Amino acid sequence: MANTDKQVNELIKREYEHGFVTEIEAETFEPGLNEDIIGRLSAIKKEPQFMLDWRLKAYRRWLEMDEPNWAHVGYPKIDYNAISYYSAPKRKEDMPQSLDDVDPELLKTYEKLGIPLHEREKLAGVAVDAVFDSVSVATTFKEPLAKAGVIFCSISEAIQDYPELVQKYLGSVVPAGDNFFAGLNSAVFSDGTFVYVPKGVRCPMELSTYFRINAANTGQFERTLIIADEGSYVSYLEGCTAPMRDENQLHAAVVELVALDDAQIKYSTVQNWYPGDENGKGGIFNFVTKRGACIGKNSKISWTQVETGSAVTWKYPSCVLRGENSVGEFYSVALTNNYQQADTGTKMVHLGKNTSSTIISKGISAGRSSNAYRGLVKFGPGAEGARNFTQCDSLLIGDQCAAHTFPYIESKNKGAIVEHEATTSKVSDEQMFLCRQRGIDPEQAVSMIVNGFCKEVFKELPMEFAVEAGKLLEVSLEGSVG
Amino acid sequence: MMKAAPTLSSAFLEAAGSKLPAPLQALREQRGKALADMPLPTRKTENWKYSSRYLKLTDELAASLPAGRNCGPGLAVDGYHIVIHNGVLVPEASDFPDVDGIEIRSFVDLDDETAQQLADRLDNTLDNNAVQMARLNTARFEDGLYIRLRQDAVLDRPLFVIFEADAEAAGSVYPRIYVDAGANSQMTLVEEYISTGDQTALVDAVTEFSLADGANVTNVRLSLEGENIHHIGATGARLLGHARLDSHCVGFGGPLRRHDLQVRLEAPGANCRLNGVAVTQDKQHFDNHTTVEHVAPHCDSEETYRNIAADESHAIFNGRIHIHKDAQKSNANMSNKNLLLSTGAEIDTKPELEIYADDVKCAHGATVGQLDETALFYLVSRGIDRREANTLLSMAFINELIEQIPVEAVRETVQARLNRFIEQAFEGA
Repeated sequence: MANTDKQVNELIKREYEHGFVTEIEAETFEPGLNEDIIGRLSAIKKEPQFMLDWRLKAYRRWLEMDEPNWAHVGYPKIDYNAISYYSAPKRKEDMPQSLDDVDPELLKTYEKLGIPLHEREKLAGVAVDAVFDSVSVATTFKEPLAKAGVIFCSISEAIQDYPELVQKYLGSVVPAGDNFFAGLNSAVFSDGTFVYVPKGVRCPMELSTYFRINAANTGQFERTLIIADEGSYVSYLEGCTAPMRDENQLHAAVVELVALDDAQIKYSTVQNWYPGDENGKGGIFNFVTKRGACIGKNSKISWTQVETGSAVTWKYPSCVLRGENSVGEFYSVALTNNYQQADTGTKMVHLGKNTSSTIISKGISAGRSSNAYRGLVKFGPGAEGARNFTQCDSLLIGDQCAAHTFPYIESKNKGAIVEHEATTSKVSDEQMFLCRQRGIDPEQAVSMIVNGFCKEVFKELPMEFAVEAGKLLEVSLEGSVG
Repeated sequence: MMKAAPTLSSAFLEAAGSKLPAPLQALREQRGKALADMPLPTRKTENWKYSSRYLKLTDELAASLPAGRNCGPGLAVDGYHIVIHNGVLVPEASDFPDVDGIEIRSFVDLDDETAQQLADRLDNTLDNNAVQMARLNTARFEDGLYIRLRQDAVLDRPLFVIFEADAEAAGSVYPRIYVDAGANSQMTLVEEYISTGDQTALVDAVTEFSLADGANVTNVRLSLEGENIHHIGATGARLLGHARLDSHCVGFGGPLRRHDLQVRLEAPGANCRLNGVAVTQDKQHFDNHTTVEHVAPHCDSEETYRNIAADESHAIFNGRIHIHKDAQKSNANMSNKNLLLSTGAEIDTKPELEIYADDVKCAHGATVGQLDETALFYLVSRGIDRREANTLLSMAFINELIEQIPVEAVRETVQARLNRFIEQAFEGA
């Protein structure tokens, strides 16, 4: 058994491969946060007055809010005035018209990251909006998308070009006063992605955003807004990386999804922010608010996430099921290693009749990490015939790690049914023995067992992502077994 | 703007009665001082999230209920019994066991040396940060029961302790029991909380168990008080090697019913079974919080709680299993099932796992729902009328746990009460 432990330990050790820094000229604000900074940010983005007002209102509200401390994580106090709230790669005055206009250094970065940004990689068939530090640098496949009527652009562009849509939906799912980090994001978000899928349109390809924090001492505050109009369908992927730095960096994003009647949104994330080194130094603080509103009848929002990065994660992709027969889904694999801490889960708020939700959460903790599932399933008085099924399983690798489950269930409707199950186990000696006996080396054995444990979630991911996720898991586990 | 958190009224800090031996008196004073300006739980206090709005510690409840002697109708008992009226022991209504190695004394009768030993141990089974209200008990108790079982002592029949709150006037009462069970000793303790009178009163009860190696204790806790009684109770237990605690908590709702059960398994082989039932109707409220701490390796815990909420009532369950860092080979199971009989009612449940060891088997499950339509159909299609079918299935839902209570008199009392509850719940259905 000691032997297995050692082998597993070795498996978990492998370094972060996206840890390079790209030397490109950047325009960065001096650290600090006040109304003046927000004004400058808004001015640079040439935002209409309503946006500036919205930001300032959010900022004033945020000043009165307290940082949440209920999550099962510990981290040094963040000095919000030591962060720079805007960092943009320097470039020509105008937005790049094609990829040729994009800084070649930047393209190299993305190549290193392996994102199919370049059009020549059309085969991948993924339309990418890449957000580098604070601004969106390039969006691919604009034309075919435009032909289908799909709007896929940076949120800054959307604020200019589609102010009525932005004004109607921005903050409708996650209001500025929702929580501390959402408030901060509302005040200072610098860019992000905007998607609008019109009535009856099935988006012809997967949409994707790649986030990267490059500059030091900056925070990344992106904002994503996806609106699926009646009867439409969209699948959206999100990936993230950051360079290796000794200081912690803050990432406080807000994602809002709106699904109208019969619309369907599938949102997949592979989160691979820099998790800090093996002694727990550095890494990203990932404090993210993601929420989808199923406003329309028969609408569906599905969250799939693979979380392997970040020093501290605080993230609860949620669904508000307002429309009759609407469906919410949450599939999650969260892996923590070394000194990583994750407090992640979901909220399913059932308000409409016959709404249903499924939660499958797989937590894997290794090293000295701590991994918590925190979930809320709530049935309002109007949620007649609503259903929820929740399963959250934890896998522990090594005796120094911790796994927790905090599920909240609140029901106010007698016709609603909720079932919750949770188990905790380890990679058993028997499983390892079986694999080893068949000539599989321990590293592969652990990875096989872990992959099997996560299969239910991986099968929900789009193909390219499923492969990446499997690989990522292998990498993240390296050297952890013990 | 934020309002300042409300604090405990100083009226609650004036303990009455001075019959206690000096060491206990000193402990009480010290705890009382520490409670000055104690912030009261609010909606933001995690473990009072759903109950803080029912907690009304008004000044009129601060005064101790006067000790009287007019006991209400006794309950069916089948064993030894001790009656505690408004926190004070009534010897003439009691039937003490006379068994070798078993000593049961009221706090006021203790000699200074024993009182000192007891004072050193009171509260040490409870996590006082989690059970704020138990601290108030230690600052206010006027008497209590100290039960000591020497090594190998066996109490042959169950001991019933009947706590009667006589609410002729508004006020509060602070019942207290400390059980010190020696190695391989055995006993069954039945706590019954009842009330007379119709004024608003607060019962703040604390029971503690310390189980030495191989001790085996069964604890039955019945909460049967009236609609005018606010009840806040805490039970703490620490178990050494191969000790066993078998706990059965049965409660009927009230304006505020709260019970915290905390069990620590401190040496290999310690194990516990925790069963709980809470039923609520009208606008009643019941909140059960349990914590099982697996401190040592090779311990087992098994927990099953069931709730039924009817009308506009509110039932809460919060179960926490905490596996400490070196508690390998722990086995912990928790199940919580809830029946919601009406849409005006609310059930909140949170089965938590907190695990710091890898070689463990832990599972929990929770469900909330209504009676199974297919089971109802089965019965109705066989000529049983719908109401009868509802009653049968609801009874069955709870009875699984009631039948495990090892004291027949208790089962009968509880079943009669439950029958009445379920009849009322389905009235007109």
